[in-house]
Amino acid sequence: MAERVRRQIYVWRAGLAGFVVLVLLWRLLPPAAEAGRWPAPDWLLVVACAVVLRRPEFLPAGLLAALVLAEDLLLMRPPGLWAALVLGGVEFLRGRAAFSRELSVLTEWVMVAVVIVMIFLANQLVLVLFFVPQPAVWMTGIHLAGTIAVYPVVVMALRYGAGLRKPATGELDVMGQKL
Amino acid sequence: MSRDQDPQDYARQARRLLVGVLIVALLGVFVVWRIDSPRVERLRMAVIDRVVPGVDWALVPVARMATMLRDFQSYARVYEQNNELRRELQQMKSWREAAIQLEQQNARLLDLNKVRIDPQLTHVTGVVLADSGSPFRQSVLLNVGARDGIRDGWAVMDGLGLVGRIAGLGTQAARVLLLTDAASRVPVTLQPSDQRAVLAGDNAPFPALDFIEAPDLVRPGDRVVSSGDGGVFPAGLLVGTVVQGTDRRLRVSLAADYRRLEFLRVLRSHDAPVVDGAGGLILSPAASPAMTEPAPAPNSVSEEKAAIAAPDALDLVRAEAQDG
Repeated sequence: MAERVRRQIYVWRAGLAGFVVLVLLWRLLPPAAEAGRWPAPDWLLVVACAVVLRRPEFLPAGLLAALVLAEDLLLMRPPGLWAALVLGGVEFLRGRAAFSRELSVLTEWVMVAVVIVMIFLANQLVLVLFFVPQPAVWMTGIHLAGTIAVYPVVVMALRYGAGLRKPATGELDVMGQKL
Repeated sequence: MSRDQDPQDYARQARRLLVGVLIVALLGVFVVWRIDSPRVERLRMAVIDRVVPGVDWALVPVARMATMLRDFQSYARVYEQNNELRRELQQMKSWREAAIQLEQQNARLLDLNKVRIDPQLTHVTGVVLADSGSPFRQSVLLNVGARDGIRDGWAVMDGLGLVGRIAGLGTQAARVLLLTDAASRVPVTLQPSDQRAVLAGDNAPFPALDFIEAPDLVRPGDRVVSSGDGGVFPAGLLVGTVVQGTDRRLRVSLAADYRRLEFLRVLRSHDAPVVDGAGGLILSPAASPAMTEPAPAPNSVSEEKAAIAAPDALDLVRAEAQDG
């Protein structure tokens, strides 16, 4: 039983890494090249928020940092900045995973939205401070709105597609401790 | 809650420390990138160089599928297309006659003027491997790189017009910054009004024209070619035609087919010779190196002679200049 639960953790970690690879492949495909398209939501950030509020042990901080940094490098973003901000935001949520168990989906959505907005604002602020050229504001706005809007969809998909939900009261983990 | 009673508290503290170290390290990477951008960009290019040819096998079938899907969509309106093509063919026939006549005339004129076309403008053709299709960065990766003699900054065209320039070079891959990228600035000439302008990408499908000297003289439909100012691009490469956006800003409809970037040519451009001294043009090439050398070695007689001869030659040239 314990062995099976532990294997489940590794399957989840590998699955999340595979998901990022798929997203990157899709982004790297030639048809995605056209200019003037609407920016797609930041899937990795949304999935990381959703997973970390349900089962924090499925997404360790080191794995998350490595995945976001790889995305930074391949998608020509300033390397490190977005990774650091996402890590900070997700760790903030991880600290409130226990608190969020009592929240409804709507309240949780608001909390995650606030964190995502903070990450975007901090990103813009640092880019301005360091004189890094940035994309147009409306584009970042659409990017932000899309990212927040897909959160409930991702939560539903994870729940009904992958069986990820918040642990019930009194549920025990591998080591027999309360979750 | 005292610390030594709760073993979980230690774990939490250690975790917090670890996360803090990670965040600081990542921010360090960003700061280093901001300070020494070329080095980190080389590192990024090395990563891409390693990763992207490796996933090529996965990219090819999906890309092929997408192309097939697009082709299928165009089959759906094959009848209208056929009519359209017939009409265009009629127009093209008359144009072809005109072109042939002009070509003959041009060849005659070139011959009369003894014009020599630059023979060094050759190209290397590469296949598009992939692109970082984020709406914030418009660039594609080519399968040719430093091993094929490509250098940073060279112009890239498809069969029709300018596509962008090389920005980032690995051994087996090169990144092409497209003209639509927000970081792309290319000096262009607008014909026939012969206005100089800068083509500035802004992530929109039609990049904008900035710094036009007299916008009144520019009409939608004018041709846009690269001007060669700044020595980055060869002059006279076709870029596209001027269009006017809904915001009444002048933009360029690109001649290159951006929806189908498959094979791209990288133009080998060579550094233009720079004339930086006044005397270098007039003095004979044998004398000029002796002028710049401080003092010839005493045992080499020929060099001494050259050094003695050189001031004479210079005086002669000066005298001639004063006379003339």
